[in-house]
Amino acid sequence: MALLETDRVWKKFGGVTAVQDIALSIEKGEILGMIGPNGSGKTSFINLLSGIYRPDKGNIRFIGEDITGLPAYLITKKGIARTFQNLRVFPNISVLDNLLIGRHCRVNNSLANVYLNPFLSRKREKEAEDYVIELLDWVHLADRRKELAKNLPYGEQRLLEICRALASEPQLLLLDEPCAGMNPVEMDTLAAFLKNLRERGTTLFIIEHNMRFIMSIAERIVVLDAGAKFREGSPVQIQNDKEVQRIYLGEEEEE
Amino acid sequence: MTLRIKKNRLLLYAGLLACIIVLPFVVRDPYFIGMVNFIIIYSILCLGLNLILGYTGLLSLGHAAFYGIGAYATAILMTKHGFSFLPSLIVSGLLALFFGFLLGLPTRKVRGDYFCLLTIAFGEIFRLVTQAWISFTGGAMGIVGIPIPEVLGWKIQTEIDFYFLGLSLLGFTYGTLHLLTESKFGRAFVAIREDELAASVMGINTPMYKILTFSIGSLYAGIAGSYLAVYQTTVTPSNFRLEESCLMIIMVIVGGMGNLAATFLGVSVMAVAIEFFRPVPEYRLLIIGLIMILVLLFRPQGLLGAAAFKD
Amino acid sequence: MFIDVLIVGIMVGAIYTLVTIGYSMVYGMLKLMNFAHGDVYIFGTLLCYTLLAQAHLPPLLGILIAALAGGILASMVEFFAYRRLRAAQHRMISMITALGAAYVIQNASELKWGSQVLPFPSLFPSQLVTVLGHQISVTPIITLAIAVFFIVAFNLFLNHHKMGKAILCVSQDIPTSSLMGIPINRIISMVYFLGGMMGVVGGILYSASYNAISLGMGFRGTIVAFTAAVIGGIGSMSGTLIGGMILGISENLISVYVSSSYRDSIMFLVLIVILLIKPTGIMGKVEQDKL
Repeated sequence: MALLETDRVWKKFGGVTAVQDIALSIEKGEILGMIGPNGSGKTSFINLLSGIYRPDKGNIRFIGEDITGLPAYLITKKGIARTFQNLRVFPNISVLDNLLIGRHCRVNNSLANVYLNPFLSRKREKEAEDYVIELLDWVHLADRRKELAKNLPYGEQRLLEICRALASEPQLLLLDEPCAGMNPVEMDTLAAFLKNLRERGTTLFIIEHNMRFIMSIAERIVVLDAGAKFREGSPVQIQNDKEVQRIYLGEEEEE
Repeated sequence: MTLRIKKNRLLLYAGLLACIIVLPFVVRDPYFIGMVNFIIIYSILCLGLNLILGYTGLLSLGHAAFYGIGAYATAILMTKHGFSFLPSLIVSGLLALFFGFLLGLPTRKVRGDYFCLLTIAFGEIFRLVTQAWISFTGGAMGIVGIPIPEVLGWKIQTEIDFYFLGLSLLGFTYGTLHLLTESKFGRAFVAIREDELAASVMGINTPMYKILTFSIGSLYAGIAGSYLAVYQTTVTPSNFRLEESCLMIIMVIVGGMGNLAATFLGVSVMAVAIEFFRPVPEYRLLIIGLIMILVLLFRPQGLLGAAAFKD
Repeated sequence: MFIDVLIVGIMVGAIYTLVTIGYSMVYGMLKLMNFAHGDVYIFGTLLCYTLLAQAHLPPLLGILIAALAGGILASMVEFFAYRRLRAAQHRMISMITALGAAYVIQNASELKWGSQVLPFPSLFPSQLVTVLGHQISVTPIITLAIAVFFIVAFNLFLNHHKMGKAILCVSQDIPTSSLMGIPINRIISMVYFLGGMMGVVGGILYSASYNAISLGMGFRGTIVAFTAAVIGGIGSMSGTLIGGMILGISENLISVYVSSSYRDSIMFLVLIVILLIKPTGIMGKVEQDKL
């Protein structure tokens, strides 16, 4: 069954059509990649999926449930988490707190507890902390959990952002250019990490510019051009597709 | 944490508590106790404000209005309707919470800077209403003759009595706010301050949390107001001007935004500074203004504030 | 008589516009709410009072000196209190600083002039003129004309003079303007200077019309500027004009025909209502947050 389906979604900003009539489905357990030249609407599309934008037309279904137009925080609660293209960890907060914020919607605590049953409140918070420290252990960041996020090297901040998204135990993880600014070694580490994630049951949707990365990790690729779905296929098919090469080369020719 | 460190910490807290309880019996100067009571009231006010301003990052210049709502509620209930102190205290807190909730509602639609204007307008309207609605609030003369509060037989009349009442209220305030800020709620507030969009993607219902921070922060202001009413035995509009809100803001900033314990420091420092300049009241605003400017220019994180506010 | 009230309302509207221009420009350019705006121009107006009523300077000279002083004070406040915080991460920090500056200036003014109402001299002889069978006072018409002159002159300056155009550029996009070689800091100082000057002129015209000047008008002036800018739309010249006019005319009408003691409350109420319904004002554009 498709984990997430978009049914002919559109998004316009004034006169500009950012996303045009996209019908896409993401299968449970797969790694789906999305590529396309700059300005083809990839980030707008991810913003639609994560609830930051509301589609003008069409709808989005997640595990059979219509989530069109739901606010971002509800979509996260339903099990979709994301990272940002331009790295939006909370820089002035500790690594641990970053993750705890990511876990917000799964922390089973309430205002009533805080005021009326502080011991229970403490217990719940401790549970959340334990979960998150385990997550940090997995990526070898646990010993640095008190450090401010901005003091981490860039590659680790990117990893931190992914872990923060994972803290909410998502079924679907949306990654917006996770490799930006990474060197080849970091990229390989990330690729291995993401594959590992998939083995543990998280479905991945990755937007990337870096061809080598996306070809190595994605099982299926969607190509976007000018807001519309241009091509869909396996990495080999896309790589050899003359039309795809043209829309990328066409970009270069204009310079 | 090792057992030894835990034991040391516990000893430290116990020692601190002992000092606090014994203080008014050791230092018998009522003037000194009076100043400590001043610090206690403003600590309660500023702890609530720190939640709104320091943790959530919302600039509210109308905090004095909630202080006033609490004060007038207690004053009116006790003088005109014969309520005793505890019920009045509770009503004051809840009323302030309600109005805080109302003020929090527009945060969804009204953006940061404009919202600040709204808080100013709110505060000013409160002040104007208390001045104009003479039959209800006594106008510019305010309400006088607020009776001596009695809690379970304990008559609260001397400075020392008020010291212990204030301390209990402060204990409640700090205790609950400490739990709140160390929980998912406190973290959600901070997330909103740092990056509201990212916060919403983390599953935080940001509009609701903004309303929440206002409601809770104002609750404590209402409690402080109730205390002021019985402490001062009179309540007038001049207690709740825009200046008061600004003073509270600067106390929060000097102590450190986003750090609850630092609030005590900020309030104490400013209280001492104000005492210093008491002989020259005509320079009061000037000094407050200068402190505001200088602190923000050179040390916006105050004495112990969160890293987010460093230059 | 209604026609009198209307003319006075329009005059007040024009004065409010003059006073609001400086505030609106600063906010449009730097997104800073200059809480010190009113206190700065009241300082200038108070200075003018001293120069005219006590030093007996000729009016034109007194007004010129006061206006210059106001402008200089405004740019000094920017230089000392605001400049360093322009790049601050949390914008509310500069707002609090502005509040601090307001208090410093307010207190300093109070030390010199006290807080009571002082009798500001009239600038024009009061004369009645018969128009269309009605007797109208000439003073508000002259005052209105002067205010309009300044508004028009400033507009022309913005659109046709080299520095004015530079100001418009900086209002739209600071980084690009800087790349084009425009001296940003100097332009910003100039904006504060001109805004302060015009505020003082507006304040003087107002006080001359009502023969009264007091410290309290400073805070009130800041609120007037906020409200007019919010009504009309911040950062837009035509918005400032519309906002000022609406505020001035309606305030006057209400003051005369309803009640003058509720004047301030009504202004705050209007402010609240507009903030809740359309905070960007009549001419303002709804801003889209870039992601």
